[in-house]
Amino acid sequence: MALQATVESRRLPSSQALNRIGRAVRSNRKATAGTILLGIFILVALFPGVIAHDSPTLDAYRPHLGLSSAHLLGTTAYGQDMWAQLVWGTRNVLEIAFVVGLAATAIAVLVGIAAAYLGGLWDGSLSVVTDVLLVIPLFPLLIVIAGYAHGGGTLVLIVVITATSWSYTARQLRAQALTLRSRDFLEAARVRGERKIYIIVVEVIPTMTSLIVASFLTNALYAVLFASSLQFIGLGDPNTVSWGTMLYWAQNNAALQTGQAMWALAPGACIAALGAAFALLNYAFDEIGNPALRPVRRRSLKRQPIQPSPVEQGERHAA
Amino acid sequence: MRRLIKAGTVLAAVTLAGALAACGAGAGGSGGGSAAKTATLTISNENGALWTCDFSPFNGSDTLLSVGLVYETLDYVNPLQDGKVTPMLASAYSWGAGDKSLTFTIRSGVKFSNGTPLTAADVAYTFNLLKKYPALDLPGVWSVLSSVTQTGADTVTMDFSAPAVPWFYYIADQVPIVSEAIWSKVANPVSYPDSHPVGTGPYEVNPCTSANITYTANPSYWQAGEPKVKKIEYPAFTSNNTANDELATGQAQWGAQYIPSIASFYTAKSPDFHYWFPPTVNVSIVPNLTNPLLSNAKVRQAISYAIDRSQVSSLGESGYEPPANQTGIVTPTFSSSEDSSLVAQIGNSYDPAKAKSLLEQAGYKLNSAGVMTNAKGQQLSFTVINIGDYSDWVADMQVIAQDLKAVGIIVNPDNLTNTDFDADLYYGKYQLAFYDQQTFGPSPYYELNNWLNSADTAPIGKVAATNYERYSSPATEALLNAYANTTSTATQQSIMNQIQQVMVTDVPIIPVVEAVDWYQYDTASFSGWPTASDPYAQPSAYAYPDMEQVLLHLQPK
Amino acid sequence: MRYVLRRLGFFVLTLWAALTFNFLLPRLMPGNPALAMLGKFHGNLTPQSLNALEILFGVNTHKSLPVQYIDYVHQIVTGNFGTSLDFYPASVDSVIGGAIWWTLGLVGVTTVLAFVLGTGLGIVAAWRRGGRLDSLLPPVFVIASAVPYFWVGMVLVLVFGINLHWLPYVDGYYVATDTPGLNVTFIEDVLSHALLPALSLLITTIGTWILTMRNTMITTLAEDYVRMARAKGLPGWRVMLDYAARNAILPNLTGFAMSLGFVVSGAILIEYVFNYPGVGFMLLQAVQGEDYPLMQALFLLITVAVLVAILIADLATALLDPRTREAR
Repeated sequence: MALQATVESRRLPSSQALNRIGRAVRSNRKATAGTILLGIFILVALFPGVIAHDSPTLDAYRPHLGLSSAHLLGTTAYGQDMWAQLVWGTRNVLEIAFVVGLAATAIAVLVGIAAAYLGGLWDGSLSVVTDVLLVIPLFPLLIVIAGYAHGGGTLVLIVVITATSWSYTARQLRAQALTLRSRDFLEAARVRGERKIYIIVVEVIPTMTSLIVASFLTNALYAVLFASSLQFIGLGDPNTVSWGTMLYWAQNNAALQTGQAMWALAPGACIAALGAAFALLNYAFDEIGNPALRPVRRRSLKRQPIQPSPVEQGERHAA
Repeated sequence: MRRLIKAGTVLAAVTLAGALAACGAGAGGSGGGSAAKTATLTISNENGALWTCDFSPFNGSDTLLSVGLVYETLDYVNPLQDGKVTPMLASAYSWGAGDKSLTFTIRSGVKFSNGTPLTAADVAYTFNLLKKYPALDLPGVWSVLSSVTQTGADTVTMDFSAPAVPWFYYIADQVPIVSEAIWSKVANPVSYPDSHPVGTGPYEVNPCTSANITYTANPSYWQAGEPKVKKIEYPAFTSNNTANDELATGQAQWGAQYIPSIASFYTAKSPDFHYWFPPTVNVSIVPNLTNPLLSNAKVRQAISYAIDRSQVSSLGESGYEPPANQTGIVTPTFSSSEDSSLVAQIGNSYDPAKAKSLLEQAGYKLNSAGVMTNAKGQQLSFTVINIGDYSDWVADMQVIAQDLKAVGIIVNPDNLTNTDFDADLYYGKYQLAFYDQQTFGPSPYYELNNWLNSADTAPIGKVAATNYERYSSPATEALLNAYANTTSTATQQSIMNQIQQVMVTDVPIIPVVEAVDWYQYDTASFSGWPTASDPYAQPSAYAYPDMEQVLLHLQPK
Repeated sequence: MRYVLRRLGFFVLTLWAALTFNFLLPRLMPGNPALAMLGKFHGNLTPQSLNALEILFGVNTHKSLPVQYIDYVHQIVTGNFGTSLDFYPASVDSVIGGAIWWTLGLVGVTTVLAFVLGTGLGIVAAWRRGGRLDSLLPPVFVIASAVPYFWVGMVLVLVFGINLHWLPYVDGYYVATDTPGLNVTFIEDVLSHALLPALSLLITTIGTWILTMRNTMITTLAEDYVRMARAKGLPGWRVMLDYAARNAILPNLTGFAMSLGFVVSGAILIEYVFNYPGVGFMLLQAVQGEDYPLMQALFLLITVAVLVAILIADLATALLDPRTREAR
């Protein structure tokens, strides 16, 4: 019996998990919205020249122009086309989001799962490090580090944010890994005599795929917010084209008070939109994982007067 | 949990009530605030820090708060009117034989704010105090003086080791006179905070807190009926935005601020709001003349011709800082010193075609990447250091970089912190830099002397005083020394013409835009402000002792 | 008791980590930044300031690293953070002393409000499962959680400050015209200046409360004892509050602890947008002005404040939830 279960559950590799995810995304409204939004941004980042025909950096136009067909968002105080800056800036933002997202998630997976499986002293020390980093307020820490580094470019931002933001997701991954430890199929693998590494890589990680994807989304979201915040206060390289640096220049030129509100509102809206994409996908993954949270579709009660309430139906799932 | 809901509701109600009250108060407050402005002048000058309530006239951080307001100098020399002299504590002065001595007659009837009369002894004492404690000698007058003595009941004579006529400005206009009776009792004048300054000036400090300084009129001031503005408030602003906002709402009437998009931010808000930015010194590209590629004058000339200074001014500086010119003469402030025939000769200062041809004459050709390269394969590609904090300079450099790229010269901006920048500049560890001189005087001599005098330079690896580009030319040095030796305006002009020629031919620095004094003023409650048509003093609230002249001219409406 | 001791122990450990971090950072950065900043003063520092700088940053010192570390910890523990370089010659303590009240007021009051309102709304949303509030909330607040804090502030500035002229949006009070003190003008001024920043902070942080509370409520509502209470015929609101919410609120408290870090970041950015003179704004000015002693001190202060808040939340959890008091 146990052997049969093992054989069946061994067929829970990444491809099936991904398949499940794909189906879930399509059926869940939030996931679809989030994916479409993210897709738009990725397309813009890949083909900026197609969408914006002007150079984002050249001070080529008359400054302070308003919205027009020639300049969709007008021009900055330096005579640069805002729409072009917004479009080309997408690259920098997505670069940071994905690199930090992947790197931070990789660290989180490493630390979280290692802590859960190596146990003992390893778990103790890794958990302490994770908890300490979790509790120290991240943004002031980032400010201090970036301050000592005198700002610096995108690379510095990526390294600094990755190094400090992995702890939250590491904790979640460790928690889930711990609950999985006692599951049958893993017990079976251990009994078979498989090496720990094998168990972790082939059995555990694929089972945690949805949480790992969710962690990536969380890390990417915070990377976008932290990076643009640091750029906004001047700790990025003001010469890069990015949404955060647009905000920096807008703030320096008192854009809001001088009728150039678009200079500040547009990049902020983009950050919000990209963040929303990540957040929607993240939330959707939450619901996929815990069906009790799924939105309730109202059903008219007239046809079937005696029905179990949706809450109770959801409750039956509890693993 | 019922209690929680109750508590929450109460909290919400209180907050809402408070918000509504605040709304009303806020609207009323701003309205009521501006009405109470009568005869009190409020200054908006962001200093980036709170006040320390130290007023020592010899401490560089405190001078703008005390010299001119509380302390006075021998004369007032107006840099915007070619050095016009207004007698202050000295009623007269005269140069001795060979211009090697200067005698001042001290005005009678002047009293310190504690009632003791000002005498020639105080003047002599002050100068000798600077000699005894060089840290107090901010203008550095003892580098040219050999002695200062009281030679009569009301005269003081200063002897020079060598003629140094331009130093009149520093001696007469930049040295605040203090009371011997008070300062001779101070144990350590260098660290003396002077929290209750006693001077001959029109105002007294009454009182000072870390957030605000209040100045009240000095009742025993020697000019009868002055000052007409009886009270001044000088709040401490730690951020530009707050200071700008106080100006835009009319809470402050005299501003010394950099305001972006000033037309829509400030002048559009009221017909009484005005601004004027008189140019003072050049903001220039400083080449390191020891760099092998930059040591070629033609390359430097090409850089000068390649830059569209009007564009840098309008885009990088929002048009506040006018374009400079290669002669180094700041216009319109020193237009009278400009050599008009030379200006006509050099023609259009923005000429990319000429820049390219100069580079070709120097042996450079455009390679496949569009960069000028010479026969040895060396490319005209440089790093230019800049102060990252000055966002307008960063913006200037972006425009300059684009202009230079168009003729095949690549410059990569390296935006540093103030301290790093200073270090690199002083020690000569850079290729190109973007900077302006920190001193300004009543003629172009002061700035140009700092740039061109070999005495002010040093080899790479040692600190250069003001000649950062390491320019050294005995001929130019002789010219500058000759200028210092004469009081004849004709001779001075002829020398200045030759110096302009040096600037155009040798191109030791490349002036791009002209730095300005920041100045905003509100004519609603006060009249008598300095303007472009009546530049009776440098108008910035941080310019000393010029601010005294402004305050003496102002009167409440 | 063991639980309390463990939490205290963790508190001390984190504090030690933050201290050590502060110690190591400037010494690890290429070209000790403090050394460069010293040059700014051209030797005008008093011997005490110089000494403090030596200990805090390890400049011009010939002592070995461990000895430096001991000096450093001793210095910090006695509360001596040296002289501020931006506000020279004021001591760091005096500079921070002024700013701290502004932040406490803003963040403290707003966080309490957000917690109360957010938890309340979350409870109602979960109770009326499938109702309008419930289906509206998740997407709205998912998007709200992704909006950068400072952007909300900027929109409020634009709408209420610049376009409508209803409220001031710069600084804590009118510096040029008001004298701080217990007078009506000053207090009114402070309140009117605090309204927009508080609103920004409220809008951006309330979402987490509502969502977490709603989610935990939903899970709690599925529990047996809640069904029992309903079956017993107790009035709906009584079941909602005394049975469900009371237990659902506990994970929220721990969530409070975790989210405090984000509230702090939000507060820093909002203070920046509004030039509100609190410790967050001061930290940013210190960074821009290369005032490293002030920067260090502010970082430690913020960390300690967050830790204390978390400790209080943990102790509150221990008090309210007997389960946590059991040996784990």
